Amino acid sequence: MTAAASVLGPGRLRPRPRNRELGLLLVVAGTLGAGSISLAATWSAGGAVPTSPGSVFADPVALAAYLGALFIAHAAFVLSGRRTDQILLPTVGLLGGISLLLMERLPQNLVGGLGLGRNQLLWLVASIALMAVIGSVVRSDAWLRLYKYTWAALGVALLLLTFVFGHDVNGQRLALSIGPLTGQPSELLKVILVVFLAGYLSENRPLLMDESTRLGPLRLPPLPYLAPMVVMWAMALSVVVVQGDLGAALLFFAVFLILLYVATARASYVAFGIVAFVAGGFVLYQLVPHVRVRVDIWLDPFAQASGSGYQVVQALHAFARGGILGTGLGAGLPAVGRLPPGGIPALHTDFPFAALGEELGLVGIMGILGLYLVVIERGLRVAASAADDYRAILAAGLSLVIGVQAFIIAAGNLKLIPLTGITLPFISYGGSSLLANGVVMGLLIALSDRGVEPPRARGARPNGVPAGKGSRA
Amino acid sequence: MTDVVGSGARGGTASANRSAGPGRRPGIGAALSRVAVALTVAFAGLAAGAGYWQVARSSDLSSSPDDAAVIAASRHIVRGEISDRDGVRLAWTEKDPNGEPLRRYASPALSGVVGYASPVFGSAGLERAYQAELTGITPPDPVQDLVRKFRANPSDPQAMQTTLVAKLQEAAVAALGKDRGAVVMLDPRTGDVLAMASTPVFDASALASPDTASATMTALQADPAKPLLPRPTQGRYVPGSVFKIVTAIAGLGSGAISPDTTFPEQPAAEKTGLLVSGFRVTDGHHSATGSRAHDFVAATEVSCNIWYALAGLRTGGDALVSWAAKLGFGEPIPFDLPTASSQVTGGGGSFGGGFSDAVELANAAYGQAETVVTPLEMALVAGTVADDGVLMRPHLVRSFSGRGGTTTVAPETWRRVIPPGLAREISAAMQQAVNGPLGRRYTTGAQVAGLTVAGKSGTAELGGTGEPDSWFIGFAPAGDAAVAIAVVVEQGGRGAERAAPIAGQLLAAWKAWAGQ
Repeated sequence: MTAAASVLGPGRLRPRPRNRELGLLLVVAGTLGAGSISLAATWSAGGAVPTSPGSVFADPVALAAYLGALFIAHAAFVLSGRRTDQILLPTVGLLGGISLLLMERLPQNLVGGLGLGRNQLLWLVASIALMAVIGSVVRSDAWLRLYKYTWAALGVALLLLTFVFGHDVNGQRLALSIGPLTGQPSELLKVILVVFLAGYLSENRPLLMDESTRLGPLRLPPLPYLAPMVVMWAMALSVVVVQGDLGAALLFFAVFLILLYVATARASYVAFGIVAFVAGGFVLYQLVPHVRVRVDIWLDPFAQASGSGYQVVQALHAFARGGILGTGLGAGLPAVGRLPPGGIPALHTDFPFAALGEELGLVGIMGILGLYLVVIERGLRVAASAADDYRAILAAGLSLVIGVQAFIIAAGNLKLIPLTGITLPFISYGGSSLLANGVVMGLLIALSDRGVEPPRARGARPNGVPAGKGSRA
Repeated sequence: MTDVVGSGARGGTASANRSAGPGRRPGIGAALSRVAVALTVAFAGLAAGAGYWQVARSSDLSSSPDDAAVIAASRHIVRGEISDRDGVRLAWTEKDPNGEPLRRYASPALSGVVGYASPVFGSAGLERAYQAELTGITPPDPVQDLVRKFRANPSDPQAMQTTLVAKLQEAAVAALGKDRGAVVMLDPRTGDVLAMASTPVFDASALASPDTASATMTALQADPAKPLLPRPTQGRYVPGSVFKIVTAIAGLGSGAISPDTTFPEQPAAEKTGLLVSGFRVTDGHHSATGSRAHDFVAATEVSCNIWYALAGLRTGGDALVSWAAKLGFGEPIPFDLPTASSQVTGGGGSFGGGFSDAVELANAAYGQAETVVTPLEMALVAGTVADDGVLMRPHLVRSFSGRGGTTTVAPETWRRVIPPGLAREISAAMQQAVNGPLGRRYTTGAQVAGLTVAGKSGTAELGGTGEPDSWFIGFAPAGDAAVAIAVVVEQGGRGAERAAPIAGQLLAAWKAWAGQ
């Protein structure tokens, strides 16, 4: 009972209005409504059988359900009476709504169950529910902070499970099935990683900023404290080698390096990490065929336009067809699965950005990139105003996993970096990704509450250095 | 990714950050702002990347024949008609019994240039090059492109009028007869291509019909005469003596030779051959010209290999290659259809211009050695002389018409190659080659009653025992040329025997068409 109370905090209800959030959600509702009308108009002009005859909306039931979930989340935040961030929910809500419209618009038989659109609706609603519950209920971070090595152990276990029991999706060991449930463990892993890193880095900050070891021109902290960096590096590379999952490896390592920089303000770490990553990448390029194929496609996809470069070339054509204003929702050509012509394989998971580039144009792409930037900047603002190091690094890490992941897949779609198979947060189809990102956003909203003091860790000094290790600092 | 981390790393020293941050958490605030800036820059990079593909490369990629939307449209959209410059229909679309569009073509004579649009084998020729316009996926005008988004039916197939003259094309194919070869006729003043024939021909309608497409394609691909090869643009031939006009342009243009240039060693070399670095350049057919030292006009009239070899050596490899480049050698010609490059030398040699030695240069100067050309390129060479030294960019399309009106393709000057005075000197030599007392022996067939023809024949030795390729390039009426022509007949024998009479026949047909 006491544990629950410390997580949930005092149970009195003191509603506090959130007018900015409400106003922005109304804008989101209007935007999605307009998008839905536009999609329905395109369908009827193209002679398609409408999902809901007699309605001006493409799928009014799904739209209403989704908007309902957003407003219920808003109501939950109001009822919780907390002074949490009011921008994040509408921002994520708009991204998810765009995803809903896109999935309604793609061929529904790409997945089983209720079809692409309705499946995605369910996952979106679940994701928003998680965000709302975590954002309104979680008042203490002690359960994350105190058990960081437990979380780390869980993460390693998850990784090992995937190595051993995971099954391959398109040549990458991405999926793990437990009983009837199938998921992408890397999505959960990224949350665990951030939770662990926040604990580790905040605890060891002074030591990591120490410069007692000299290695040539490099001034490094005591060598034992470099161990986690080496472990992270090895983990990222092993994820590539064993799972063939370039995207997750890139995401983990990038988030780790940026958080290391946030914690220590030492640019040399980042430089060192990049050199190590590039060196590792070079070796992998020589040794792992999967990596070599990806890099070669990236360097010149048009050389193999009908072979291995097909996916990337079709995506670039989709961007080109979109131009500045786009073809309009539903009027593009991402006929997935029907090849040829024009289908981008795995469009709903790996290339939604290209499909949106075609249908919403450069203007739409700019808008979507802007929404991710809002998430990043709000998250970093939460970090900057956090009450202590742990919360600062945790909040920064949570916003980074969303922002960096969006960057990696968008840049891959645009041929700025080699393509990797990770999801575009809140837009790609898929339950694991949506649920994990829902947890991330829920935690970020909870952390943005400035009214709650962080707990005093047992034996911790005010500056965050644990008593046991202080003497070595 | 490096961008994000790299920019984040652009911090000051740790100690500076310590003093910058709030007292209790040194550094984190400053580091966070740097991370925020770095990520903003990274996302700006994404926006720039999207801008590159969606603006800079948009029309290029989205109207490419490989674009999925273009291919999809080509299957169900009723393509625009293709017509010749007089309005004769060359290609149009009918509905088959199932209501599916079915492309029909006026004549196999035009298939080499118009190409085909087949539901089974994709497309070729103009059908492929202008797939986007013919299917209406991308109107040629960006303003219309914006407006069309707001239409219920955004596709606006364009009708395309070509610069071709169906009659001349038919005449060219008929003149080539059973031989393999190519004819290019163009208007040197505008670059309008009037005829572009390739033999043997094939039946595009049979490729466009789903019932016959597969069998037809199998037979065409198995045919050793390669009917699917677009010879005027992609056939690469040894030019023989027609290349002397290129040498003349390079020599006169660079100032290395003048119309009065004579070579004292030439008369003696007629009998024994010209010794160049131990190799003898011989000239077999000049017994009639005796021991005179020729000037430029005489050498061109009798097609003197020795004189041209010496002229080439004096011009030098560098100048010959660079002047040929002005005529379009060394790169694919910018044209409506894909073109192969013509070359003066295979390159890579240490002698000037990439020649391996003086012998190769001497032989290239009269069109043998490693020199290979496309018929289109040689028509442009003739056209440049005809148009007072100005090379017009060749083109095949006059206009597109759709709902949004008609877009006309304007003639475009590609390059000024030589001054008008020099062009007239070369023109005079080419007139002499057709009409002079000695030139006549080789090119009588090219003469047309009531039309002054200027030209040059060529006999391209291929090595081995086969017959040489037969060439003729020229233009008419000399002095005020309105048509330039290049004819090549594969293994047709001497230029005079096969190519020159075909040119004469076609220039007569042109005269009848143009009403001259």
